[in-house]
Amino acid sequence: MNKPPSWTSREESLLLLNAYLDNELDAASVLDVERRIASDATLKSELARLVGLRNALSSHVGKERASDALRRRVAAIADTPTLSATPSPRARPRSFDWRQLAAAAALAAVLASAGTYVGLQQSASPSQIAEMVAGHQRALLATAPFDVASSDRHTVKPWFDGKLAVSPQVIDLTDAGFPLVGGRVDVVDGRAVPTVVYRRRQHVISLIAIPQPGSKDGGEPLARATRDGYSLLSWPGHDFKYAAVSDLAENELKEFAARWRSGAIAN
Amino acid sequence: MDERQRFGEVVLPHLDDALSLARWLTGSVTDAEDVVQEACIRAYRTIATAKSNPRAWLLAIVRNTAFTWLAKNRPKSLVVTDDEALFEKAGLEMIDCSREATPEAVLIAKADAEQLHRAIAALPLAYREALVLREIEGLSYQEVSSVMSIPIGTVMSRLARARNLLIQRIGMAAKGKAGAA
Repeated sequence: MNKPPSWTSREESLLLLNAYLDNELDAASVLDVERRIASDATLKSELARLVGLRNALSSHVGKERASDALRRRVAAIADTPTLSATPSPRARPRSFDWRQLAAAAALAAVLASAGTYVGLQQSASPSQIAEMVAGHQRALLATAPFDVASSDRHTVKPWFDGKLAVSPQVIDLTDAGFPLVGGRVDVVDGRAVPTVVYRRRQHVISLIAIPQPGSKDGGEPLARATRDGYSLLSWPGHDFKYAAVSDLAENELKEFAARWRSGAIAN
Repeated sequence: MDERQRFGEVVLPHLDDALSLARWLTGSVTDAEDVVQEACIRAYRTIATAKSNPRAWLLAIVRNTAFTWLAKNRPKSLVVTDDEALFEKAGLEMIDCSREATPEAVLIAKADAEQLHRAIAALPLAYREALVLREIEGLSYQEVSSVMSIPIGTVMSRLARARNLLIQRIGMAAKGKAGAA
């Protein structure tokens, strides 16, 4: 079922536009949706409204920050000896009602399936992963997650050059919703390495560039790992191995990686 | 790895996310803090069941705790309906008759924080949670579906309706403002 269902109602087209906006369609459906948008003014303004709403939400509706008092109270839970860890029966999931799904199920079939990954172990050692995540965490605790603040890649790149005498690719992904915010230096395997900092809504993405002369992006699948609740995706690039660390949902971090890679190839 | 350490790794990094979800489900930060604390106690007790996606796992616990908490402490705020068909029908009609009043994209993009907060708070709970999980927590459809225990198709329709309602409300609010000025 590769072909999206016919767009008979506004309801259906809205569902597809939403899935398109959320980056949840597979590549073939994306092309189909884009073609339809291009030739249909109603769809185009529908999409513009959805994009407007998303931008308004991301600039005005932020995350709550847990107060120190709450953090302390929650951390104390694990210190209370009376709370033994006994598994409780899991809630029974609500049963599916296929009738109610008749239309939506067909749409869900065109959703992108979870991507294929290889284990990150192949390309980064557990200690490297730990160091990269720790660098990201330290940066989040600091006043700013970067040492040089700039949304201009022509500032960030020379800064690395002057500081470390290496210059990783710095790709502008503002249009894709990942504005560049700056750069900093992390230490991995006892070596100072450049880290480019991006943002998605309130989430910080650290893109660590580990020098690896002769390496290039051959379209390898992303290597992934998780640690302490953070996701890490890595891929080879031109003379560097890149690793993105964030607390973003993995599909969004995947989107970041994909946009970055295609941007790097085009550059 | 002992339970304490595991709790520190899978629960503590996601407290802001947990609080944000609880805040939108209960309507206040104070209530949300109570819910989060209770949810974290549950999370600690069931830490052995934590999945490879600890954030979605924790958010599912927060959601369930919030509903129990609301039923106990704010019963009036909780309109529970098991009649999905009725619910979905209402949504459809809402979309179909809304054509005329649809505001321009510029108007929506210019909505201010207060307008948006009010519009989100006014959404029916089932739409609001889908929207918050996707837009504020940044979960994928798959993750929203597992947190809310509903099929992906239902996630899609609730999300589409939630956004559609927000767009309508913001449009109306903007019109009201223009009229008063």
